[in-house]
Amino acid sequence: MWSFVVVQLLNALSLAALLFLVAAGLTLIFGILRVVNFAHGAFYMVGAYLGFTTVVLSGRFWLALLVVPPIVGLIGASLEVSTLRFIYQRSPNYQLLLTFGIGLVLEETVRVIYGANSKSVDAPSLLDGSVHLFGTPYPTYRLFLTGLGIAIALGVWLFFARTHAGLIIRAMAQNSEMANCLGTNVQRVRTLVFGASCALAAVGGVASAPMTTAYLGMSVNVVVDAFVVVVIGGLGSVVGSAAGSLIVAAAQTWGGYYISETAMILMYLVMGAILIFRPHGLFGEKE
Amino acid sequence: MKRRKFLMVAVGGISASVSLPALLRAQTQNQVKIGILTALSGAQAIYGEQTKRGVEYFAKEVNARGGILGKPVEIIYEDSVADPATAVRKAQKLVEKDGVKFLTGLSMSSEALAISPKGPEWNSLLISNITGAGALTTTAFNRNFFRINKSAAMGARVTSLYLQDSPMKRFYGLGNDYAYGRDAVASFSKQATALGKEIVGTAFPPVGTKDYASYIIRIKESGAQGCYFALTGGDVPIFFKQALQFGLTRDVKMILETLDNKYIDQVGDAMEGTIGSTRYAYTIDTPKNQKFVAGFHAMHNVYPDYPDAVVYQGLDWLAQAIEKAGTADDLEKIITAWEDSTYEGLEGSLFMRKCDHQVVQGGYMTEAARDPKFPHLVPKILTHYSAERVTPKCRTENFD
Amino acid sequence: MTRSRVLVLTYAITLAVLFAIPWLLARYQLSIFIELLIFGLFAMSLDLIMGYAGMISFGHAAYFGLGAYASGLILIHFEAPIPVALLAGIALAGAVAAPVGWLSTRATGIYFAMLTLAFAQLLYTLAYKWRELTGGSDGIAGVPKTALFWGLPNVTSPAVFYFIVLSCLLSSWIACRALIRSPFGHAIQGIRENEARFVSLGRDSRPFKLLVFVIAAGVAGLAGALFAPFRGFASPEAMFWVASGQVIMMVILGGIGTLIGPIIGAMVFILIQEVLSSHTAHWMLFTGIVFVLMVILLPGGIVGLARRLFEGRT
Repeated sequence: MWSFVVVQLLNALSLAALLFLVAAGLTLIFGILRVVNFAHGAFYMVGAYLGFTTVVLSGRFWLALLVVPPIVGLIGASLEVSTLRFIYQRSPNYQLLLTFGIGLVLEETVRVIYGANSKSVDAPSLLDGSVHLFGTPYPTYRLFLTGLGIAIALGVWLFFARTHAGLIIRAMAQNSEMANCLGTNVQRVRTLVFGASCALAAVGGVASAPMTTAYLGMSVNVVVDAFVVVVIGGLGSVVGSAAGSLIVAAAQTWGGYYISETAMILMYLVMGAILIFRPHGLFGEKE
Repeated sequence: MKRRKFLMVAVGGISASVSLPALLRAQTQNQVKIGILTALSGAQAIYGEQTKRGVEYFAKEVNARGGILGKPVEIIYEDSVADPATAVRKAQKLVEKDGVKFLTGLSMSSEALAISPKGPEWNSLLISNITGAGALTTTAFNRNFFRINKSAAMGARVTSLYLQDSPMKRFYGLGNDYAYGRDAVASFSKQATALGKEIVGTAFPPVGTKDYASYIIRIKESGAQGCYFALTGGDVPIFFKQALQFGLTRDVKMILETLDNKYIDQVGDAMEGTIGSTRYAYTIDTPKNQKFVAGFHAMHNVYPDYPDAVVYQGLDWLAQAIEKAGTADDLEKIITAWEDSTYEGLEGSLFMRKCDHQVVQGGYMTEAARDPKFPHLVPKILTHYSAERVTPKCRTENFD
Repeated sequence: MTRSRVLVLTYAITLAVLFAIPWLLARYQLSIFIELLIFGLFAMSLDLIMGYAGMISFGHAAYFGLGAYASGLILIHFEAPIPVALLAGIALAGAVAAPVGWLSTRATGIYFAMLTLAFAQLLYTLAYKWRELTGGSDGIAGVPKTALFWGLPNVTSPAVFYFIVLSCLLSSWIACRALIRSPFGHAIQGIRENEARFVSLGRDSRPFKLLVFVIAAGVAGLAGALFAPFRGFASPEAMFWVASGQVIMMVILGGIGTLIGPIIGAMVFILIQEVLSSHTAHWMLFTGIVFVLMVILLPGGIVGLARRLFEGRT
């Protein structure tokens, strides 16, 4: 009995970690840039595929985890500079269309380069085994994923709460004109934030590949979940994304076990219930 | 006011641009046109890729011998994106704009179900090379539809027959939550129970589930000895990856509804020992298949999977029917010529049943096994079941 | 010529061209054009909410789908005349939109959009899983084109069906325009401009938003109800969030808040994909690039571009 409870809890935590890695970047982009990034799932996917290539070329998963996110961050930043930057002043609808277009381009580029077969990525041998819990084997990799999610969550929170750079970014999110007057290079910060968020999504992609493989449907599969997490938690709130990830992961894990009939919709029901009582999400702020 | 002017210009512009290609396209009737409507992009693109290869091989072979009835064969490809609405639109384009009478290559049953009723209206034939939904040859049957592949019910039948002799008694059924997953697991449950086995549980995870952990736990706890899987092409590798990590593949026998070569490619060595029925395997040991595999490998540098092989046979058989009918335009004659005809297929003799246009054929049970001749796992043939045992009764999904 | 005379002339010419279409286009092109009109109607319905009420809906495709299923089921099981099926589509879409809208309008902005998404996914799941009624993931196929009225023969000619669709589109457009120009319409646009001020003037904005949401859903349901007999099937994909995303793209592409713009946007969106996908398997790549370029270079969408071109002249 206990083994089952613990195993399910660990399952939920590892799924929550995966969701958080994707949702954190998404909520930052919305909170700070006020942009709804439909391409976010695509950056996650690009991260996973580039992770695959790195592992194939070097045989080292750790290298992928170190090298791929900055590369994807650079891709994101350059896209922001060349496209998104021109339309910040316009209504958010245009940003929707732009990020949608960028998402299409990225997804199709991955397909052109990698083909239609899904790509299996092997975890490093250190993480590839299982740990014995209450007599049943539990994949070590999931524990790693949970740990990684917690570490990154703490890192991001610390960055915004305790560092000077984080303070500047928060100020800019509240009032960009004022921040500009006070000497912040708003444009550069925006690019950095967008790039960093894409890099976060890529971390999620690289980290999830050994568990889910790198496949073409990744982007579509994760995007809605990420949006639900962000909305439950409240747009712009990293703490909210963490809470939202836990809630959604719990719904999918326990819902999947007990009532797999409703597995498809439990997440939406929970989101709906939360929004009805707290229309700005758990930690969101009124605009 | 300017908006109205613009609307006028827009309408005129759109009409012109839509008509122009049609005007420019010369009408050619001295070719046999075949439309390949398949998922060339999107998440299901693997099926389109594998269908296209088989078609290319067929086209090369048939045109090398002078075409059909002396006319060269023209293949027109369209991308259905595995979406029924797009598929119908593209099918209509192929039929009405390109003058195609023969359509094949559809990747999903939902597409086939949407297009099949249109056959009589469009005066076209639809040939299934991978779609397995039972309804296509039962409740939704019309004479313009021909199914070359084994239906999903036939796959479940092969597996049940094989397991009948197996010492395993308790099975779990895991299917993705959509028509194919539900039907395959239901069919297997029904047939296995009738043969004296016990189904200890079933579960239907949504298509595209990222995390199968809860389902893996359920299977482990159920005490099943074997687990029957009917998952989408995209979900199989994900599930297997996670099942391997949880050690499920050691404790429970993995039985796939269809053991495709692409799974062996994608999952790799983790798949060793998995068994499943198969729609086609390149290891089938007939002279015709060996020749096909060699020629295919020479052309594409990979081994054929079942969409390749079945679409090839379907088109080759269509060519045979057209030759027999003496016309590539009179569909009634072609249909009549095709019904009750026999064809030397890659696995043996195939028979096109008149009553429901389902090809009467046997089935294979395979296992992903090591073979010293290859660096990767191969689909090893375990046993073959005859057509009489595997093909259901006319217009039904029942076997006895 | 006075301005109003030019206006009338333009209307007359446009109508004349539209009426002449069945004779101008080949059979296959006519069916594409009918599909463009159906999706144009669908996109226009979304513009009511997005362009005039300022509400983004991520779940609008659900109402298109409901209309398609209602119409499809009525045509298959009862073989009722087409207008009955169309009314059923509008009714079902509107009826479902009422409670959904009532619950969703508790929130605003992106939260409202996510609620509409959640409800749409719920409806999608319902359609997907209720196999006995909706055919499940396979959908329902073999939807016939029936007659215009009891006693008349079934509609077989594409030209006749074209006129059915055209009349639905034109009458919906006229109705929407009237709605926009009515006091109700002005109230809606006032809410879009500055909801806080609207509320501070003593009116509750929610009933207005709810009503326009229901009306838009009904028109989307009409489009779906036309789609089912046109293509002969109804399937859950039409209700999936990807479809909702695509119709948003159509509206933005065409020009938000113009009613005509989204119709044009829908036509362009579908035509680009149709033409590109016949030429290359990588059409999604080029489509994405086209969208990105259009967003950067064309503020105001296609209609915005047209306005600037024509304004340069006069």
